[in-house]
Amino acid sequence: MAQLDPTAFDLRVTAPRRGARLGRIRVPGWLALLLRNPKSRTGILIVAFMVLIALIAPLISVAHPNDFSLIDARQAPSWHHLFGTTDQGSDVFSQVVVGARRSLLLGAMAGAIATVLAAVLGITAAYMGGLADEGINLLTNVFLTIPPIPLLVVVSAYLKARGMIAMAVVIALVLWAFEARILRGQALSLRNRDFVLAAKSAGESTWRIIFGEVMPNMISRIAAAFVLVFYIALLVDAGLEFLGLGDMGATSWGVTVYWAQVNSTVLQGEWWPFIFPSLALGITVLGLVLVLTGIDEVSNPRLRVERKRGRLSVLLFGRAAA
Amino acid sequence: MSAVATQSLLGVQSLAVEYGRVRAVDGVDLQIGAGEILGLAGESGCGKSTVANAIMQILRPPAHIVEGSITFQGEDLTHKSTEELRKFRWRNVSMVFQSAMNALNPVMRVGDQFVDMMQAHESIAKRRATVRAGELLELVGMDRRLVQAYPHELSGGMRQRVIIAMALALSPELVILDEPTTALDVVVQREILQEVEALKRDFGFAVLFITHDLSLLLEFADRIAIMYAGEIVETGPAEQLASTPLHPYTQGLIQSFPPLTGPRARLTGIEGSPPDLRDMPSGCRFHPRCPHCLPENAALYLRQTTERPRLREITPGHSVACHLVDA
Amino acid sequence: MSALEVRDLSKNFAVGGALLHRAHVHAVEDVSFSLRPGTITALVGESGSGKSTVARIIAKLYDPTSGSVVFDGGDIARVRNRRDVLRYRSQVQMIFQDPFGSLNPVKTVRHHIERPLRIHRIVPSSQIDDRVHELLRTVGLVPPEEVAAKYPHELSGGQRQRVAIARALAVEPKVVLADEPTSMLDVSIRIGILNLMLELKEQHEIAFLYVTHDLASARYLADDILVMYAGQIVERGPIERVLAEPLHPYTRLLLASVHGERIEERHGRSSAAVDPAEGCRFVTRCPIAVPVCRQVTPGLVEARPGQSARCHVTAPSAD
Repeated sequence: MAQLDPTAFDLRVTAPRRGARLGRIRVPGWLALLLRNPKSRTGILIVAFMVLIALIAPLISVAHPNDFSLIDARQAPSWHHLFGTTDQGSDVFSQVVVGARRSLLLGAMAGAIATVLAAVLGITAAYMGGLADEGINLLTNVFLTIPPIPLLVVVSAYLKARGMIAMAVVIALVLWAFEARILRGQALSLRNRDFVLAAKSAGESTWRIIFGEVMPNMISRIAAAFVLVFYIALLVDAGLEFLGLGDMGATSWGVTVYWAQVNSTVLQGEWWPFIFPSLALGITVLGLVLVLTGIDEVSNPRLRVERKRGRLSVLLFGRAAA
Repeated sequence: MSAVATQSLLGVQSLAVEYGRVRAVDGVDLQIGAGEILGLAGESGCGKSTVANAIMQILRPPAHIVEGSITFQGEDLTHKSTEELRKFRWRNVSMVFQSAMNALNPVMRVGDQFVDMMQAHESIAKRRATVRAGELLELVGMDRRLVQAYPHELSGGMRQRVIIAMALALSPELVILDEPTTALDVVVQREILQEVEALKRDFGFAVLFITHDLSLLLEFADRIAIMYAGEIVETGPAEQLASTPLHPYTQGLIQSFPPLTGPRARLTGIEGSPPDLRDMPSGCRFHPRCPHCLPENAALYLRQTTERPRLREITPGHSVACHLVDA
Repeated sequence: MSALEVRDLSKNFAVGGALLHRAHVHAVEDVSFSLRPGTITALVGESGSGKSTVARIIAKLYDPTSGSVVFDGGDIARVRNRRDVLRYRSQVQMIFQDPFGSLNPVKTVRHHIERPLRIHRIVPSSQIDDRVHELLRTVGLVPPEEVAAKYPHELSGGQRQRVAIARALAVEPKVVLADEPTSMLDVSIRIGILNLMLELKEQHEIAFLYVTHDLASARYLADDILVMYAGQIVERGPIERVLAEPLHPYTRLLLASVHGERIEERHGRSSAAVDPAEGCRFVTRCPIAVPVCRQVTPGLVEARPGQSARCHVTAPSAD
């Protein structure tokens, strides 16, 4: 994966592109690029769609997701229950759309915490060098050597409060070190660039250089880190729930699948409480992965290809940004 | 200086290379005779490296030849098959790049890289190839034992000599030097160019010497072609270009080298900068920077801003593309 | 009256080698010179000669191993506190070689020139825009309002270098260190940048240090020349005199190369500055070396009025 190699980014040319026009709307350069790449365009649409669903979830879920109704239990998808019902009679569709909220929020939180930690610590270590670098590297290495899955399993087994915030924090703590090392690598290659020396020579303070000069050049890598942690967090959270170690009282994709599995619904031919949440998870993760490929292109102009407008894409999206 | 080579070794006719909507090379004609040194001078963005890549048929997509032809010893290169091209490269025409580190594999010993290259073109046992590699290194003034060295163990000058030796390994008829010494110190540069001259005398290959440093060409080349914004604007024997440059760009370039002797006068260089290939000036591409392009001379100005000048022979062997000369 | 003086400056870098046996590159050794207001001093040498390191030490981007940089009566090399360092930086500025690398790709031209103005409070906030435009005009980038809004990649190499010069000028420095400012530019635009430097020297009485490997542009610009080889100054003096009658064999070799004369090849140790032994560092490439050259390091001796060289043969010391 290109994002694992800090030297793959040609930082020299990562200059902000003037916003392009999408029809009559001014679109910032980076967004235009992401939209131009068919893969990331698809990814953005998928993620935007899921965000939309999450936002309007209370409006479109016909029933409270955890409503029990033994009469309606185990019903296949129908107009009444679009995704069918669980063995307890809860509406699967509601569980999926409400679960989207939790998943997206958790992913974003974990992504944000991990990225902030990784960026601040990684870039500071790279720029300041010396003891600060040694200290932060030690911290990073400690966190890196801890096997994440067993740690997560153990922590969530012991954690009394397994609420969303707790899970997000735990996942972030497990994942930040990996990104910190990558960001440190990129910052190291930037630190000896002449414009950083020029800023120092002009009298800029260390903090202003780190946050004002170096970090803005790493936006796309930091964004990539955020998206990466986001989707890993989604998978990890769902995985833990599937094992029964997550926040089992919450409405979430993983929990729905857990109950489906525990109640052996699939064995009884009831595929819907299993498939629909899994699909939702899979599609969201896919969308995020696709966005990630687009970010690679934004940050590494060498990957950009002059695109011929395929006819289908012209049909679907018209003449996008030039 | 040999008499003007009669049979042309390499001919480029009306070459045009595009990538995307940009024309990096727009209608270039060149001739190189056997055993002659042709200098190709120009600044960044003029397309000279693209011409070299086109000749070697190593243009990287999306760059591609849209017009024109390249003939080597009478054969059109654009019609050759991949296999024929593979044989052609290095055996008939080889290339020396600006940065040796671009051409050398950093994790292989120098000798092994020679062996690889030779074995790709002929069946030769490794031992014999290594011996030959050592001979080639001696040829360029290096100790033959350095076949054992890794590229990073050598200095910049030595690495450059290595790729020159590699370029000569199969005794090609034409060697293309693309900014071969730009990254090197002036002393090493002189040593290497002296070396190349001596080798040329011994082996008789022709040279296409591409550089932005016109002063080097005025010294080393037999003939010089000046490139600007994808076109050839002047071409002629080196002494003539030095004594009577006809194109204002050539004159400006020669004016841009501060003298080491004589009075210390203020120079003016050339105003402005080379044009963006996507946004080419109309008419003569040099006109925005030309000191002789003045609105006052209405008729001439109109031609300069609307009509592209054609390369015309003024004195035997000396051609220029300039409305001022036609007028 | 010197604007800035460098005394016995030395800088060693530890490189590679085994854990207990690290080699040291004597990048700079016992370098002394002074920069006078309204003059351009050329520091000439090949890559690895230490010339850029000298400039960066003066710019306080590296700390010297020993020696001093005397400015305004004090040794700035030893100073650490932020206020004094900031004051120094408002007087001594640097222009870098790579026009593509010395500007932050994600910041506008305005940002680059504004920052020094703000940091050193050169003008009140309300006048910053005007001052930015004025500086852009000074370096020939017009119309300034348009240029100020551009990003570096929207400018040509020459324009970028002018922005770098404008940035350096923002603080109204007394000393400007120009580290090969034209070597990465197209030939036809170099003269423009060199002429700009000449103008600034004349109009603002700035003391320039012009670091370069190009003798011709050094002659065009400079009044004095310092020739460096393997970390040491091997010749110094008024530039016309040194170029007309060079004393040190290395200076002669440089001149011969540039004049297009045949030179004899002597392959010396390219790493003459790594753990150097006693004796002249040029000895392996020197056509006039004598036995003492291998044994005793020559000192810088004034062989003619105003012209010194570090050579046993051409500039022997009195004893």
